[in-house]
Amino acid sequence: MSSALGTLPQTHELYERLASCDGTLVDAAARSRALDRFFSLPSGHERPGRFWRVDFESLVPEAAAIDRNGGEIGFENPDPAVVVCDLATAAREHPQLLSRAFATSEIAANKFGALAYAFAGRGVFVYVPADHACDEPIVVRYHAAAGSAIFPWSVVLAERGARITVIERITAGAGAFVCAAAEVVTGDHADVTCAVLQDADPEARVIASRAARPGRDSRLAWNLAELGGALAAGDLRVAIEAPGANAHVTALFFPRGSQHVDLINTIDHRAGEATSETLVKSAAAERGQARFLGNIRIAAHAQGSDARLRDDALLLSPTAHVDSVPALEIAANDVKAYHGATVGAIDAEQIFYMESRGIERDAAERIIALGFFEPAVEAFPTAALRDEIRAALAAKLS
Amino acid sequence: MPEQGLRISNLRCSVAGNEILKGIDLTVEPGRVQALMGPNGSGKSTLAFSLTGHPSYEVSGNVELDGEDLLALAPDKRARAGLFLSFQYPAAIPGVKVANFLHAARQAERPGDLPPAKFRALLLEKMEQLGIDPSFMGRYLNDGFSGGEKKRLEMLQLAVLAPKYAIMDETDSGLDIDALKDVGASIAALRASEEGRKTGFLIITHYPRILQYITPDVVHVMIDGRIVETGGHDLAHRIEREGYDKIREKIASVV
Repeated sequence: MSSALGTLPQTHELYERLASCDGTLVDAAARSRALDRFFSLPSGHERPGRFWRVDFESLVPEAAAIDRNGGEIGFENPDPAVVVCDLATAAREHPQLLSRAFATSEIAANKFGALAYAFAGRGVFVYVPADHACDEPIVVRYHAAAGSAIFPWSVVLAERGARITVIERITAGAGAFVCAAAEVVTGDHADVTCAVLQDADPEARVIASRAARPGRDSRLAWNLAELGGALAAGDLRVAIEAPGANAHVTALFFPRGSQHVDLINTIDHRAGEATSETLVKSAAAERGQARFLGNIRIAAHAQGSDARLRDDALLLSPTAHVDSVPALEIAANDVKAYHGATVGAIDAEQIFYMESRGIERDAAERIIALGFFEPAVEAFPTAALRDEIRAALAAKLS
Repeated sequence: MPEQGLRISNLRCSVAGNEILKGIDLTVEPGRVQALMGPNGSGKSTLAFSLTGHPSYEVSGNVELDGEDLLALAPDKRARAGLFLSFQYPAAIPGVKVANFLHAARQAERPGDLPPAKFRALLLEKMEQLGIDPSFMGRYLNDGFSGGEKKRLEMLQLAVLAPKYAIMDETDSGLDIDALKDVGASIAALRASEEGRKTGFLIITHYPRILQYITPDVVHVMIDGRIVETGGHDLAHRIEREGYDKIREKIASVV
């Protein structure tokens, strides 16, 4: 099987490949600097140790595998008042709008964000004008063919009072490498929901860097379902820079077989009177392994912040491993911050209760595990998407 | 035709090496109500868990359910054979909706007997019968339920699954007076229903108060893992007046 990942000493090939890519959004010097950062920065993800099998530091795309067209990109836009287009079109027709959101976050400062930035040019731009409520979700699809490497970048800009739901679907064939990025910038009083359904081939690798900057008194929900891939890694940051923002981050993942998931969520409260709520539900089976690092930072001047972090992991096999690391850094004194984490097997009393109602043990475990995910599933937009996630989880449980 | 009934003979049970049940003989016939009374720690709940197959209990002896060797069956098969336990402390299972759970249980016990729409109709009918609010259906199983709500949900399960034999373990425990009235009304409605009249009940209780709602045909008193006295409904009244001490004294004087 061909693989989009190579070994480390192919730096020059990558630079050459970069130089030959057309339609990028980044000038040559910035691209080169970004690639330098990719090669020099540590990933921030787990290093291989007693448990961890994935060495993030040595993950490098094979230059020859890079798909110049950025894989298959699709989008559906049911609302003519909303702009949905590929990034090249956005750069041509809406350069001012694009520049208000594209590369305005700290994405390019981290290792894989820098890689995505170096090759940025393919992706989708979504723009919602002020006070417009788009009731149908915008669906964006990215697909990497087997053995290819792609760098899709989503940009969502919602003006003041706008409301929108964006569903991003990421799929990839065997051996593919997806290094994705997404940026969301919202105006005051906006209401934006972004959902990601990642269902790549079990032999693919998907690493995503995501960042959001919600406006004053806005609501931002970001829901991640990391279901596929040999490796699914993510770095999600919400920078609360305007007071009164309300951020909800929900993530669910379920590594089994030899899947590996590594998510880093950071909620940065840099303005006061804002609330954030993070809910993470994970299960691991067989040799599946996962790490969730939940950072909550509250700056000294961000008084009145209210940050909640809840992270539950279900271990379904003795060989599965989940590490849950909440990290709170609080510099303000008038805040509410809560974090709770649990890691454990299914409660034997729950199983017995179900069995006592005639339900077989295996079925009981499945029902309980699905129920365990339910609070996270319910956060996702649209009944159809929720059912799809439930079905995918059920399939992983059988 | 095997002999009908839940027939328990010489049932012994140990937990972590301690013998809790020291040879129980008891028969629950279809349509009849047996009450098993006893002070705390006498082994009443252990009997309930032994019969339903809780994995922590080491059980010996013989139990037949309509002629079938119950102790040879896994817990789910015991339920499918027609045994039901109303738990003293039902487990909360977040994320699993009451309606979905009950449908899964009904499907497990009687595969394909009701299409979803008919099942829903049955559920609504039973809820009305037992005076349970339809909003229960969409709630997560026992999650955030009050003590009274949990017990009424147990009664609803009993009504929907219509078992041959039902063990009710301390259904009245932990309820305040209003909740007891509600749960009691559910029990009375259940017993009066068509299926409820055919079910054999084993009512496990510390206090006689629950027996106002479901009249026992026979009352047994259990102390220290043995049934020490068996009588009619009047035995429950005697316990109400005298407590368990009189019976304890009597046993002590015999020994």
